Amino acid sequence: MAELVEVMAASHAPLIARDWPTLEPHHKERLTAAFQALGARLKRAKPDVLVIVAPDHWINFFIDNLPSVCIGVGEQHEGPPEPFLKAFPWRPVPGHAALANHIYATALANEFEPSVSHHMKLDHGFCIPLWRMEPNPLPRVIPIVVNTLEPPMPRVSRCLAWGKLIARAVASYPERLRVALLATGGLSHSIGEPTMGAIDEAFDRRCIAAFNDGREAPLLELLEAEMDGAGNGSHECRNWIVAHGAAGSRGFTLVDYIAVPEVYVGCGFAAWNLRC
Amino acid sequence: MARVVAPCHDAAMRDYWLSKLFYDVQTSAAEYRADRAKFLARYELKAEVKEALMRDDVGFLAQRVNPYLLRFYFAASGMKDEEFIRRLRESAPPQASRG
Repeated sequence: MAELVEVMAASHAPLIARDWPTLEPHHKERLTAAFQALGARLKRAKPDVLVIVAPDHWINFFIDNLPSVCIGVGEQHEGPPEPFLKAFPWRPVPGHAALANHIYATALANEFEPSVSHHMKLDHGFCIPLWRMEPNPLPRVIPIVVNTLEPPMPRVSRCLAWGKLIARAVASYPERLRVALLATGGLSHSIGEPTMGAIDEAFDRRCIAAFNDGREAPLLELLEAEMDGAGNGSHECRNWIVAHGAAGSRGFTLVDYIAVPEVYVGCGFAAWNLRC
Repeated sequence: MARVVAPCHDAAMRDYWLSKLFYDVQTSAAEYRADRAKFLARYELKAEVKEALMRDDVGFLAQRVNPYLLRFYFAASGMKDEEFIRRLRESAPPQASRG
């Protein structure tokens, strides 16, 4: 049977890559340390497969056909198309079609209806954390897009259910595989809105406390009530909720939280507690 | 604090062709910058939308597209973030600005 061996989350602000040379040195140091800490956890976990839960930033999908949740079931995936990610080292990114299809089949059997993509492009949301965590060797990647950009988005409670479903799918996969999950995005940020550049540290701290506490009801209540007010990018906390559900809602260890005005994002890094 | 955005579970009002233009410019920025009028002719844009594009009217366009697409478009068009944010804030109702 496959086993879920690590569940993590990391922010993915594109300016971490695009504007890296001009970021404040102390921000660069902490961001580097946070990505490396997650990378070290990933290395210790020795995953065969890494499920990455991230949004699609208008790369694969458009408003003529916008899935709520889409699983990348391809044998491989395209690397990031953004010009500032030309140096991304893995092209194509290897997939794991069999486990991806098992997650899809498990979803259908449990009354979830995801879309699938047989050829997905992985944008900065997938690739910046992956790149900065420096996995060696690179595990096979199963990308799962959760729509956090354009209404209607999946409810937060549905994202929690998605996380639990992914965990069940992994546990029921017949092959011996070590599987890790990385959720990307968040915490508070605002893009293309009048509030662009604002970071809501108070929201981020409440969020972190609720994830750390682990209890589902207060966490869902907090996010449903406050995400809209913390900037449109804050909706990426849905991906963190998927991770929370996958890890069994036992709380997490905060690796670091850094409000970085130059990248417009309250950057969070965390790893969930997988065992009681 | 109140914000002028659609609730996340409701479908938002979008100008499809304007959104399509912004989506396409992500991968054709050089062509767009070289001859904006020629590029715009491919899309079924309303006259007032076309005029807003020609004068880089951030506030007018912001009401009609996803905010991420809006940001990508103006970045691809060559507008610096500082200027983009300034125009966004100037065009917004007072309660929409937190930052």
